[in-house]
This record gives sequence, structure tokens and C-alpha cells, in this order.
Amino acid sequence: MKAMSKRILIGGVAVAALLSGTVGTLMAQQKPVIATVVKISGIPWFDRMNTGVEAYQKANPDVVATQSGPATADAAQQLQIIQDLIAKGVNALAVVPMDPAVIEGTLKRAMDRGIVVVTHEADNQKNTQADVEAFDNSDYGAALNVRLAECMGNKGKWTTFVGSLGSRTHIQWVTAGEANAKKHPDMQLVDPNNESFDDANSTYEKAKEILRKHPDIKGFQTSAGNDVLGVGRAIDEAGLSGKVCLVGTGLPNPSADLLESGAITAIGFWDPQKAGMAMNAVARLLLEKKEVKDGTNLGVPGYEKVTVKKGAGDGLLIIGNGMVLADKATYKEHMF
Amino acid sequence: MHKTGEQLVMLVVINCVLLAIGAAISGGAFLSLFNLQSMSTQVPEIGLLAIGVMLAMCAGNGGIDLSGIALANLSSVLSAVVLSSFLSSTDSETTFSLAFMVMTIGIGLTGGIINGLLISKLNITPILCTLGTQMAFMGLAVVVSGGKATTVGSPDLLSRIGNDMFLGVPISFLIFAVCAALIAAALKFTPYGLWLMLMGTNPKAAVYAGFPRTGIIVGTYAISGTLSGIAGMIIAARNVNVKFDYGSSYLLIAILIVVMAGVKPEGGYGRVVCVVMSAIALQLMSSLLNFGGLSNFVRDFAWGLLLLTFLAVGRYDVVGFLMPFKGQNNSSAPSPQAPKPNN
Repeated sequence: MKAMSKRILIGGVAVAALLSGTVGTLMAQQKPVIATVVKISGIPWFDRMNTGVEAYQKANPDVVATQSGPATADAAQQLQIIQDLIAKGVNALAVVPMDPAVIEGTLKRAMDRGIVVVTHEADNQKNTQADVEAFDNSDYGAALNVRLAECMGNKGKWTTFVGSLGSRTHIQWVTAGEANAKKHPDMQLVDPNNESFDDANSTYEKAKEILRKHPDIKGFQTSAGNDVLGVGRAIDEAGLSGKVCLVGTGLPNPSADLLESGAITAIGFWDPQKAGMAMNAVARLLLEKKEVKDGTNLGVPGYEKVTVKKGAGDGLLIIGNGMVLADKATYKEHMF
Repeated sequence: MHKTGEQLVMLVVINCVLLAIGAAISGGAFLSLFNLQSMSTQVPEIGLLAIGVMLAMCAGNGGIDLSGIALANLSSVLSAVVLSSFLSSTDSETTFSLAFMVMTIGIGLTGGIINGLLISKLNITPILCTLGTQMAFMGLAVVVSGGKATTVGSPDLLSRIGNDMFLGVPISFLIFAVCAALIAAALKFTPYGLWLMLMGTNPKAAVYAGFPRTGIIVGTYAISGTLSGIAGMIIAARNVNVKFDYGSSYLLIAILIVVMAGVKPEGGYGRVVCVVMSAIALQLMSSLLNFGGLSNFVRDFAWGLLLLTFLAVGRYDVVGFLMPFKGQNNSSAPSPQAPKPNN
């Protein structure tokens, strides 16, 4: 047994050594590799982003653009993928962080090795050369509210939903919405900042409560992706479709039925496909040592004239105008 | 002896094969020093947790430790919150680092002792007990941190543990190796090891033989907790920030590693070296798939396949089947059924 084990052991080691020796010379990839790492793979949002990465690859055959992401929603798994990609020797990383804080150390090591780092949905990321945001959060919140006010005829009771009170962007959106509503003295905010936890069912229950408590409520502004579905269902079941206005963040495909019935007035979102392309475009510019400044055209719809600010760390904060507001008439142009 | 050697050989062979495949598909980059170092910085966290699970399993009576990663996160989060309230990680780097290390390990140890006492004194089934403490640890980490990531910073000594090399080997990996070696030695050369394995084999006989049951159980979970604390320290050293929900997938992976290492789920048998090799095999496989640009769902599939293969190896003499001439070398080996404790 012992002798056998040793023989197998030596054999295995020899094979490994031999293979590594022979193929070691075959290395060297000429084209720069831009690796996109998403929060989690296999969900519609990031599948849509993948189409953007593929489109970018097609349009730019002189780079290699790929997308990967963990199978489970765990920052530790995303961290390992990033680490393996650094070891593999990619030229640029385009990361949508699960948790920006957790990957700071690793992104720093990547930059120390000369890898270009671009992030998305992480304007508080310190160790990045550029963070790409689809839009300015205040502008987005205000735009949602403008649409809501228009539907409400600039008067009546309205309320807001956020994913959770700890969710930075959601709070920014509703705060900007409230600021916009102040322009219309007849709009009265009641019971603001309901927490939905991005759960359509609990949002539905909460929206029913609000409809009972304020039978004369006229408008809802929601933030998390599933909120429009929950509130929309409550409005639909109460027979108030078209009478109560609902504007919030949502995706066209799941919202289609409620948009058709009129329970949802309009949905706001940004297209992850374009965001994926924009991240890759920025990574490429940085790889070529080109400057990204105010007004730079990334060649991606919604990012033709970006605003550049100073980011949370030494990097740039690149803000596009990729906001999309879609209603019953227009949502079919963006089916995903 | 027969069976344990086989498991180890299988694991070593699989590791070599994975390295070879990696080299083949990546054109050698997989075996570059940088990647080997990068992979070995990834192993310690999960490897330490897996050793903890192995010890709990060896204790028998349905022993398992589900609270590992939660305790690791709690130790780092709590230490970071408490220490940064009166120490600055940038001004007093060494003091902060040392205090942080002592505190993470201390919290790990305490958590482990709590587990052990609940299981031995109150006779709670380990799976339920550690499920409960897992939630309690996680909840406590949420409360003290407010659910947000807590910054540890990178004070000199601590960040060296997470990032630096000693003779080309990452320090975190060395810590892992030393922990593994110490535990392996303890299992092999001390009465504790013998008691643990015999108690796992037959708890009733162990009690009648006058083994210190409470002591063994508390000791086992205390070691497991301490390992979690060390894992928490390494996570903090590497990532700069710590959060309560880091590594939520580690729980099942740790169990997978342990089962793949041939540790008996019913207790009484397990070898540290197999757990280490098995952790390395999983790491190689997941890095390999990342190198190959394959979907991470393939990884889950591959891990499952690997696990089934090992279960088959455990049940049937696969190596003997593939190498029919081996039997002759083996005639003098003791019967595999002998309940002999191996570390």
C-alpha cells in the first residue's frame, strides 16, 4: 500500500510538472482582457448586463471582454473570483460590488499590480480608478417625482417606499422626490419612507394598510425593484388603477401586466446592458491611458456626455444620463 | 490504515490532476508563483472552519459545528467595534493589531465554550445547538455593527498577516498550516485525541469507561471556536473591512470539505491532513473554473461530483479496482474494520 501510494503520488507530481513545463511556453495573450465581475450570475438584471458585455466584445474585437459572477449572493464568493482573475493576469476589472467595503483590500492589491479597476453602483468605493453611475441619484429621484406630480395633477396625499432605511441610494431618491414635491404646495406627504425590504408581498400588505388608512391617497413613489409590483397589486385589487398614481423603480418585464392595467403609472430604471458597456468603455480608455473628463463620449447610449466628479477615493466618479422612465406606451422598447 | 491511506492518496492525486489541468488550460499561468500564492491566501479561512467541523464530527453523537463562520464574523466585528472605540488603528498600529488578535481569538474561544457547555451540560443535539448559537452570534454581530461593514483598517502587523509572504508563502497560510499541525499532533499524541475518537466510536462505552465526557466535548467545541476566531482574524487582516454576513456560503462548503476528507459523519474517525488536502482540492477546483472562465454554477456541479466520487471511494475499493495488482502489497495490512484511532 505504502509503495503504491508513493508511486501514484510521484506519478501525479511528475505529470503536473511535465504539463506545466510544456504549456508554460504557450502563454502570452496579446489582446488586453477586461473582466466584468457582477454581484451574482443567473439573475435577469445581470444576464441583461452580460448582453452588454457581449455587445461590447463584438464591437471591439481587439479586446477580450468577459463576464463572470458568483452563483450565490455572497461577498466572499465574489472576492474569490476577483482574486483568481487578478492571479490569472487580466488587464482590467469592471466590478459591480456585492459589498464595496469587503473588496476594498483586494481591489487595492489589483491596482498595485497595475490592473485597471472600474466599478459600478458603488459611489462610495475608495479603491477604484473610476466608478460609473448611470445617473445622478438626486436627478433620478426628482424625475420620478415630476412624473408622479404630473399624474396626480400636482395635488393630493402621497407617500414613499424605500428598500430599507439603510439603503443609501433609495433615501437619496425619495429625499430628492420630497424636495421636488415642495414646489407643489397642494401635495401632502403622509407616512413617508415605508420599508419594503424589496419583498413584493410585504410591500403589498403595507400598501393595503396605507390605502385603508388614507382612502384619499393619490400617489406612491417607490424605490426597490419589487416595490412597484407589491403596491401595484394592492392598487389593482382595490380597483383604483388609474385613480391612484404609482411611479417607482422597476423592470419592464415583470411590471408589464400592471403597466397595461394602469396600476403602475410609470417605472424608472437604468439599463444594465448599457451600464456594462459603459464600464468596459471606461476600462478601455483607462487601459489606453486616455483621460475621461466632463463631456467625454463613451460611445454608449445614455453615456454620450458624462459628468466627471471626484470619487470617494482617488478615483473618478463618472455619471451618465442613463435614466429611463417608461410607461404603458413606451415600456415595450425595453423588454428585459 | 488501508482505507485512510487510500483517501489521502486519492486527494493528493486529485490535487495533482487539478494542477495539471489548470496548467494546461491557462497556459502555465495557473502554476505561476503569484497564482499559487493567491490561492493559498484563499484557503485558510475555509480550511480553519473545516477543521473545526471535523473535530465536532469526530466527537460523535451527531456532532457538528454550524456556528463557525458566524462566530468568525462575530469575533472580527465585535473586536473591531470595541477596539476602534478607544484605539486608533492608524496611530497605535502594533497595540491595535495585538489587541485585535487576542480579542478575536478570545471571542472565538468563548463562543466555542458556550457551544460545548450547551451541548454537554444541557444535552442539546449539536446540530440544533450550533444552529441556535449561529443565529445568536450573527444577530449579535448585526446589533453591534448596526448591520453595516465595520472598518478594521490596515495597521502594520495585522495587514502583514493578511498580505505578506514569509519565504514566498503567505503568512495566513502558514498560520493555517501551524494550526492544522498542532491539532493533528494533539489528536495523535495526546490522550485527548484517543478519547475523542473512542468517544465518537461508542459514546456509551466511553462514559462507562470513565472518560471525561464534558471535558472532551467542551474542549472540542472550544478548539473549533478558537479556529473560528483565527479565521475571523485572517478575514479582517485580508479584507480591511468586516461584515456580519461575510462568507454565508462557507457553512456548507466547510461540511463538504470535511465529508470529502473521509471524516465519518457518525463520529470516531477523521484525519486533519485529509481535511487540509480536501480544502486545497476545492480551492484548486474553484480557481480552475475561474481561470477557465466557466460559470460558477459549474463549480457547484463539479463539487457535487467530487463529493459523490469520494463517497464512492469510501464505500467501494475504487483504487483497488483501477489498480488490481495492488492487493499483493497489502496482504499484511491490518483489517480496515479495526477501530483504531488515527488522527
